[in-house]
Amino acid sequence: MSRKIIPFIIAFVLSCLVMVVAGVFSFSGAVTAEKFGSTTAWSQPYDIAESMKVIDLSGDGQDELFIQNASGVRIYDPNGNILNDFTYDSPKTTLGDVNGDGVEDIVVYHSGNFFSVDTIINGQQKTIASELPVFVPARVALIRFDGGSEIVLGDVSGSIASISTSGQVLWQSDFANEEIRGMDDAKIGGKTYAAIASHDGTVGVFDAQGNPVWQISQEQLRRMRAFDLNADGNSEVITGGEYGAFYIYSAVDGSTIFSKSLGQAVSEVREVELNGDPSSREIIVGGKDGGIWAFSYNGTTATQMWTASLSDKVTEISGLDINEDGKEEAVIGDDSGKVAVFTENGTRNNLPSHDSGITRIDIGKLGNERYVVIADGGAVQANKVNFNSIPGFQFTPLIVGLIVSAIMLVIAGILASIPPKPEMKVSFQDKSKESLEAQRRMLKESIADVERLRKAGEVTGDAYLARLKRLRGDLADNEEAYKKAGFSIKVETFQCPNCGGTLELGMDKCEYCGQVILS
Amino acid sequence: MPALCILGVAGVVVLALFFYLLNTARKKVAAPTSISGKKEYAPVYVSIADKPDSIMLGMERFRAEVQKTESAGDKWRWIPLIIFFVGLGLMAIDGLLLLLGYFSLVFSAGGFLLWLAAFIMARSLRRSDTLDFAPRYKGTKEILHTLRDDLKPGATFLGHLDLTGALLKTKVARETKDTQNRTTQYFRDEWLSLKAKLYDGNILRVSAIQKSKKRTSYWKRSRISGKSKLKPEKFKGSAHDLKIRIVVNPEAYKIVPNKDFRQGVNIGKYTVTQLSTEGGMINVVASSPFDEVEQEQILGFLKSTYSLLQRKAA
Repeated sequence: MSRKIIPFIIAFVLSCLVMVVAGVFSFSGAVTAEKFGSTTAWSQPYDIAESMKVIDLSGDGQDELFIQNASGVRIYDPNGNILNDFTYDSPKTTLGDVNGDGVEDIVVYHSGNFFSVDTIINGQQKTIASELPVFVPARVALIRFDGGSEIVLGDVSGSIASISTSGQVLWQSDFANEEIRGMDDAKIGGKTYAAIASHDGTVGVFDAQGNPVWQISQEQLRRMRAFDLNADGNSEVITGGEYGAFYIYSAVDGSTIFSKSLGQAVSEVREVELNGDPSSREIIVGGKDGGIWAFSYNGTTATQMWTASLSDKVTEISGLDINEDGKEEAVIGDDSGKVAVFTENGTRNNLPSHDSGITRIDIGKLGNERYVVIADGGAVQANKVNFNSIPGFQFTPLIVGLIVSAIMLVIAGILASIPPKPEMKVSFQDKSKESLEAQRRMLKESIADVERLRKAGEVTGDAYLARLKRLRGDLADNEEAYKKAGFSIKVETFQCPNCGGTLELGMDKCEYCGQVILS
Repeated sequence: MPALCILGVAGVVVLALFFYLLNTARKKVAAPTSISGKKEYAPVYVSIADKPDSIMLGMERFRAEVQKTESAGDKWRWIPLIIFFVGLGLMAIDGLLLLLGYFSLVFSAGGFLLWLAAFIMARSLRRSDTLDFAPRYKGTKEILHTLRDDLKPGATFLGHLDLTGALLKTKVARETKDTQNRTTQYFRDEWLSLKAKLYDGNILRVSAIQKSKKRTSYWKRSRISGKSKLKPEKFKGSAHDLKIRIVVNPEAYKIVPNKDFRQGVNIGKYTVTQLSTEGGMINVVASSPFDEVEQEQILGFLKSTYSLLQRKAA
């Protein structure tokens, strides 16, 4: 093949490869130029929030911001002004409709008066039970069992108790030996039950009478949440372990649907609709060392979508459709104050950092705008998150590919235009018979010289053969020149059929390669 | 810290690439050297069997052809550096996007590919460079030029000029091993061989031979630590032999020994080591310990050899 064509073929093949890769990147949508930013609408000092929710607590159709820490409960209006502020001793809170008026109320389980439960309804605080048979508060949940709502309490020693919305103790149990770490409502056959988990690894589901439906034990756990991931009327109970065990159990019988070891303690688990496909639900898991995993649950099992990381312990995960494409982005905060937005494919976009660790993140409408409310160690901020992208950026790989391909073809053209290096062996030969005869004599003398040198031991081995091969080759060229010029010549050389080296007629073995020659 | 290290290494690589391309563009490429520390030259082999004018013209044409190849690539030497800057420009777009808050590696990837293409092109251009022709090439031409008027009309020079290198495997004449089992190779490079029928009826044969010595690499074990260490090959020097044979036309000359040209006499860089005038032939072997022997020395020695001949009266 011509050396002028080869560079073009190579350049063409490389160009095709570049364009195929560029096409894959372009049409898969993997290449985007997007940025998320935020502006602070308001900020108020608030120490280490434990619970926070944007929710309508007054029933006026406008959401307020509920927030709770170790010393009390506070409610802000949409502009960041304090509506209510209640002081408590080590409170734990939950939100739910206590009185059945269709408006969310606040339930506070606190250490005051030998462990009591208060309700805050429309800003009115009321103690509904005190001197309860439980210890220092750990978790509280308002569970709407089929027979009526119950307030389920869990303490730091692993005991649980349930009281009615009027404050009557309904049942109690020494469920586990360590702090209650999770309490959520779970559906079994469309009916509501209470899923409860303790730090010692005990996980169980209880009915309205406090009877366990099932109870299992696993490694020590940090988080438990219950979601009906496939909307079949049966919830899935998700736990995150102290040593990285991630489980999805069936709320029906506690059987394991999915499990995976994540390699670090699970510090948070939340559901975020990452892919916008309602037939699958996505779960984001945050780790103690900053690891983030996204799983998609399709109704039967979970598959890992991506992994990412933050620089410290993941403290909160929340979902928000920032770019309004029908898919939620995960807004994740860590213990060092970093907040980042993770998209469907796991691309990280940082939001402004905070001075102290993020404690809670919630998303909701305050006034007429949707806000991401972030609570850190010392303040609570309402942020307006915005999204910008460069339109058509996904096709830039094609443009870059075209530039690269064009330059490769230009290079191929230039290289093809350079003439080949001349062979470094050159022969000047007079074609007259006298000259050819003289050359032939000289070559024979030279061959005789080499033989003489070999006999004298002055030239041995490879050097002798190489010199002889070259002289015999010249002799063959000389014979060829004779024939071309039309002079008669007695041919004295032939070529080895194996290595092509020139030999003298009559030799029965090639001196260069050892081939036996029969003819 | 690891990021700084990676950035540092990447910076060094980019700088190295830049200077490689810049030197390609400015054609500032260091000439390769052989094991003897001498500059390497184009490995040319010339088979000689023609009239002197044809040979000299052919040698000049051959040199011009080689230079043409090189000059064909010269006009494109700046292109790889330009492509380097185009790649840098593409990467700068990503930098600009980063300043605007967008993260992209698309243009950087394109820039990297262009740098790769620039490097390949620069390498190809460098490979199209040819080494300089050895001074012996020009020297041989001058020898032929000097002797051309002494040639019998219509006769040709026969022989070869072998400038492929003195230390080739194929030129190893013999090998020896010392007491430490180290191998020393002795090279015999007959780089010039000429035979010519002269105007005065004499037949002249000239052979210029370079003899070199090289110790091959070997493993040496330390007596103290016991560790083995590879000792590199070492050039041990070279010497030159000049063999001249003149078959004297007895009708024109008689051989008359003289005190100025006898065994042991220094003539230029050569010392006569063997001299025989028997059988109507002059056989002379001269040696030179010098690294290089120029064409003037060979021609001077030839002239001195002719001092042994005394023209017969007509």
